Amino acid sequence: MTGVSAYDDHTPILELRSVRAAYDGGIEVLHGIDLQVHRGQVVALLGPNGAGKTTTIRVASGLMRPTGGFLKVAGHDVTGVSASSLARLGVRTVPEGRGVFPNLTVRENLRIATFTGCGLSDIEERAYTRFPRLAERRGQLAGTMSGGEQQMLALARGLATDPVVLLLDELSMGLAPIVVGQLYEQVAAIAAEGVSVLVVEQFVRTVMSVADWTVLLAQGTVRNAGPTADFDDEVLANAYLGSS
Amino acid sequence: MNEERIKTFASEVSELRVNGARGDRERVLLGAGVTLLVAGVALAVVGGLRASSANGLGNQIALLATGSFIGFALVGAGAALFVRYSIARFLRYWLVRLVHEHRTETDRIVHAIESLGRPEVGRPDADPATMSDAR
Repeated sequence: MTGVSAYDDHTPILELRSVRAAYDGGIEVLHGIDLQVHRGQVVALLGPNGAGKTTTIRVASGLMRPTGGFLKVAGHDVTGVSASSLARLGVRTVPEGRGVFPNLTVRENLRIATFTGCGLSDIEERAYTRFPRLAERRGQLAGTMSGGEQQMLALARGLATDPVVLLLDELSMGLAPIVVGQLYEQVAAIAAEGVSVLVVEQFVRTVMSVADWTVLLAQGTVRNAGPTADFDDEVLANAYLGSS
Repeated sequence: MNEERIKTFASEVSELRVNGARGDRERVLLGAGVTLLVAGVALAVVGGLRASSANGLGNQIALLATGSFIGFALVGAGAALFVRYSIARFLRYWLVRLVHEHRTETDRIVHAIESLGRPEVGRPDADPATMSDAR
């Protein structure tokens, strides 16, 4: 390896090219996905249940190896690189559901992020600055907090160590719409700082209010992709309801 | 995020060692462990049988050395690989299960604590006014 970077300002920070993925037993769920996320861009990945949204996030994070195609980060082919290596560099995932350890306190959950080499005090400072409510709860068991606070903690942990790419899977799961709105305000702020965000979401309207680009998946293929403003009700209805 | 961070990120990504998307190394090594184990046992048995039917101590030792001893070595190596990778799988599964159980348990406790604050619906002495206050 020469260490020479293939990255310039026009290169996507994250790129999936012709990605195919299958689960054990050979059932293919992604049939050649093409997707790009540029610096500071929020890309919404939408689609009905079973479209392959979570699988796409799993491939992008390195948790799942594609059976075909390429995963590129900053212009470099990283297909097959482990999720832990990508996470250490700055590709962070906030998984579906509550991505926190319920039997650990807020502080202990944040301590987990020190695997990247950042000090706990730095991580806490960043997390509490962005989410002041977590500072009030620092000694509380994460599992005893509200769903919204738990998602704040998951997001704070993902952000506390200076990520470059943030992969969000169903941030809104089980949360009240008002809380979802607050979380997405933070996502917009994060992207404004230059972090690239790929987000899978069921609250279509909420995520589209912050997304620059939208990708519609259906049955493991990209059905439609373009600037979010181009997606009207008819396009969404076609994707979700399967009408022509 | 500053330019320096992006440059560092891009540079570190370019230095990553890429294994490619060919198969799961862990599964391959687990399979290799099983294969070595079976091959080792077979070699040891064949070596032992041939040694027992050979004439002369020298021939017997030679057959034992090339058959049984190498077979035992293969059994040892195969068993080590098998144990290493099957234990890793089991521990990973165990950890996920532990986290899941903790999560379920915490949910149950939180639910119980919350339900303590609510009056029982349908209880004869339950005061509707108090019930609405409690919420």
